[in-house]
Amino acid sequence: MMSADSSGRVLHAPPSALAGVETPATVLSWLTTVDHKRIGILYGVTGFAFFLLGGLEALLIRLQLAVPNNTVVSAQAYNALFTMHGTTMIFLAIMPFNAAFFNYVVPLLIGARDVAFPRLNALSYWIFLAGGLLLNASLLAGTPPDVGWFGYANLTSRHYTPGPGVDFWLLSLQILGVSSVIAAINFIVTILNMRAPGMTMMRMPVFVWMTLVVQFLIALAFPPITVGLIFLMFDRFFGTRFYDVAAGADLHLWQHLFWIFGHPEVYILILPAFGIVSEVLPTFAKKPLFGAPVVIYSGVLIGFFGFGVWSHHMFATGLGPVADSAFSIATMLIAIPTGVKIFNWLATLWGGTIRTTTALHFAVGLVGLFTIGGLSGVIVLIGGSLFGLFAGAYYWWPKMTGRLLGERLGRVQFWVIFAGFNLAFFPQHYLGAMGMPRRIYTYPTDAGWTAGNFASTAGAFGIGVGVLLFIVNAWQSLRRGAPAPADPWDGRTLEWRTSSPPPAHDFDTIPPVYGRDSFWREKHGPRRGAPPTASHAPLHVPAPSHWPVMIALGMGIAAVGALTHVSIVVIGVLWTIWGIVRLALEHHRTHAHADQTGVLGLDHRKMAMWVFLGSECFFFGTLVATYLAYKGRSVVGPAPHEILNIPVTTVSTFDLLMSSLLMVLALAAVQRGDRRQARLWLFGTAVFGLVFLGFQAYEFTEFVHQGFTMQQNLFGSTFFVLTGLHGTHVAIGVLWLLSLWVLALRGRLGVADAVKVEIAGLYWHFVDVVWIAIFTLVYLIP
Amino acid sequence: MSDAPRDGEHPTVGTYVRVALVLTVVTALEVGVIYVRRLAPIVIPLLLAMSAAKFALVALFFMHLRYESRVLTFLFVGPLILASGLAVALMTLTGAFLVFGR
Repeated sequence: MMSADSSGRVLHAPPSALAGVETPATVLSWLTTVDHKRIGILYGVTGFAFFLLGGLEALLIRLQLAVPNNTVVSAQAYNALFTMHGTTMIFLAIMPFNAAFFNYVVPLLIGARDVAFPRLNALSYWIFLAGGLLLNASLLAGTPPDVGWFGYANLTSRHYTPGPGVDFWLLSLQILGVSSVIAAINFIVTILNMRAPGMTMMRMPVFVWMTLVVQFLIALAFPPITVGLIFLMFDRFFGTRFYDVAAGADLHLWQHLFWIFGHPEVYILILPAFGIVSEVLPTFAKKPLFGAPVVIYSGVLIGFFGFGVWSHHMFATGLGPVADSAFSIATMLIAIPTGVKIFNWLATLWGGTIRTTTALHFAVGLVGLFTIGGLSGVIVLIGGSLFGLFAGAYYWWPKMTGRLLGERLGRVQFWVIFAGFNLAFFPQHYLGAMGMPRRIYTYPTDAGWTAGNFASTAGAFGIGVGVLLFIVNAWQSLRRGAPAPADPWDGRTLEWRTSSPPPAHDFDTIPPVYGRDSFWREKHGPRRGAPPTASHAPLHVPAPSHWPVMIALGMGIAAVGALTHVSIVVIGVLWTIWGIVRLALEHHRTHAHADQTGVLGLDHRKMAMWVFLGSECFFFGTLVATYLAYKGRSVVGPAPHEILNIPVTTVSTFDLLMSSLLMVLALAAVQRGDRRQARLWLFGTAVFGLVFLGFQAYEFTEFVHQGFTMQQNLFGSTFFVLTGLHGTHVAIGVLWLLSLWVLALRGRLGVADAVKVEIAGLYWHFVDVVWIAIFTLVYLIP
Repeated sequence: MSDAPRDGEHPTVGTYVRVALVLTVVTALEVGVIYVRRLAPIVIPLLLAMSAAKFALVALFFMHLRYESRVLTFLFVGPLILASGLAVALMTLTGAFLVFGR
């Protein structure tokens, strides 16, 4: 039997009675869903729509280049096409395809019933959709960005690109970044803290490992590009000088910030495909993955080294021989773990009982093409990511839909895409060697590039035909495909242990884990670990929520306001804050949300906050590094020592340090149930925070009265943005503390809520330690 | 890496107050040393050391990192070290200061 409460369906039936629980398929149910499987499908469908759009842009590019002196599109339209194509394929197609698999499969692979934060998961999707729609709204507005997906400064400045195209681009990338980082934090906590009992880290499937590595890359690599985009936004909207050579700026700064993100982004795109291949090959070779721990370590090493190679995208910018050598060596080092993986995949196939399914075709295609692409550096992303994603689509489609895809049509599709892909990209090796530059919109007849370009265009249309075949296959499967059993491939991992598609709660009982390839061991042995024990504990299926959509809508409104009128920004920001508060309080009183302790014995929320703070280290690290990099480069005064008021700032620093003391006193009071002191110290902390903000307002006002603004020089730009963003963090902290104080006043902050105060405290102390660094590096160091 | 929290202990209020006192004293010292001319040659490493000490005190005691699971330490300190390394590299590559010759 089942019962329900206000937080959703808390199901108390014997687990065997739950298999038929279904979620209604209404539009509202999709808008408010927090089910990881539905969100995965939303990512997949949305990503595929953007993929078709990006593909159309690619075909237009190739049509223009098919013959010399072509006039299908103008030079400006061509620039817009390759900008939109690159940005769309990376952020709106490949990343959401990966997110679709993360969402749908990862909880199933680790034996969990959902992700750690289902509503944040929905929020990530809706924010992603808002960002994607905003970027493509630039097409409807007739002003698409035309500065390349890399947006090199100072081409992106208001002076050189005055229209709103770059504004659309940078605002949508900011929004997409928020979506990605929220999702990354969610999946890191999910994977670390929600594994089924017995699933140690080294028993996790390789796809889960690659997902984990990718989430760390996203959480740590996105902040630098966020900072770079904030600088660009301030330059374009408020006249700061971050990318103004006349003010002494170094245009390499943008390239550094972009590629500190951009190179890990390559691994963000490709590592999930590596994970998929590592699941597909063992399944269809009927062998365990050869050297699975080494494949895992290799993935981790690739992710780690990925942070140390960014300047190999800048070899032509004159960094000097030492830097060029260092980054060359680091780049070559990455080839080692990558090569290890390729040999391990080959060894997995060697001697296996091979079933040549479509998924295996695409997986093997990836291995071959990525090897060639890794050596040539030309065809990595499509040869790697796209083939891996199609392998995953064919592999997990039956689990997601309950229907099998057509194998015959699938293989035809593989060969069409394989041939089209090679025809499209192989000639480009020769065209490059023959001197054809990238991103030119046409070329003369006598350049000798005609045949290669025509072949490449024909190949691109071949890929397009292949994608159409997939659509036909998917349509036929959904309409009249053969029903898929729970385990159509004789699978090795836990997702095949539940029905196809799985019920809302994923598993009736949390599955037993017998080692790596747990389900295979369960079916065929040898088993390790305890036998399965049926759990009759109540199941908590998260309740739908409309606040994620509302928050994403608020962010979209704010972004539209930035392009139109400041009053709309205010409306959007207030809407967003209102949505966040309502989302946070939605289940404040729900018992099922009180305890979120995971397999590591840690609360999900606390772990998430620490991951967020790790991400914030990159955010403030980039801001501080930029301040120091630009220190002394301003071509006009004032200099820091001429204007900074150290005595006043010392007092405000003392104030902030003491607020941290009050914060820990507040936490201690909540933990021991002393409500009066909890109210007192929470309010005191907030007041000290407000005093700090008052000092900052006084300092800024004094500077402006003295003629020192963020537009004055590089020092002004870096100082105001760094300290202003820190002040914004303080202001958010004050709002957070005051909301806790209000809860305390209403008697709704008991001992069981201590973790809520604890995570607010962690945030507050982090803001404090950031200021400790700023005080020394900005104010005290001469 | 231990998965479980090291123990359930928390610092006492007395410990918190002592840490706050140390933070106050170190802050006063930081401001003081910039006015002592004889310390000029070593003032930058001195300031960095004192700042790092304050950072560590807040992280270890106020943020309870000293008493928490090593997983949480890894989640914070790993990115902190990586971000610091990237910041130094960025400053070197933009010529703010040179760790090595160009």
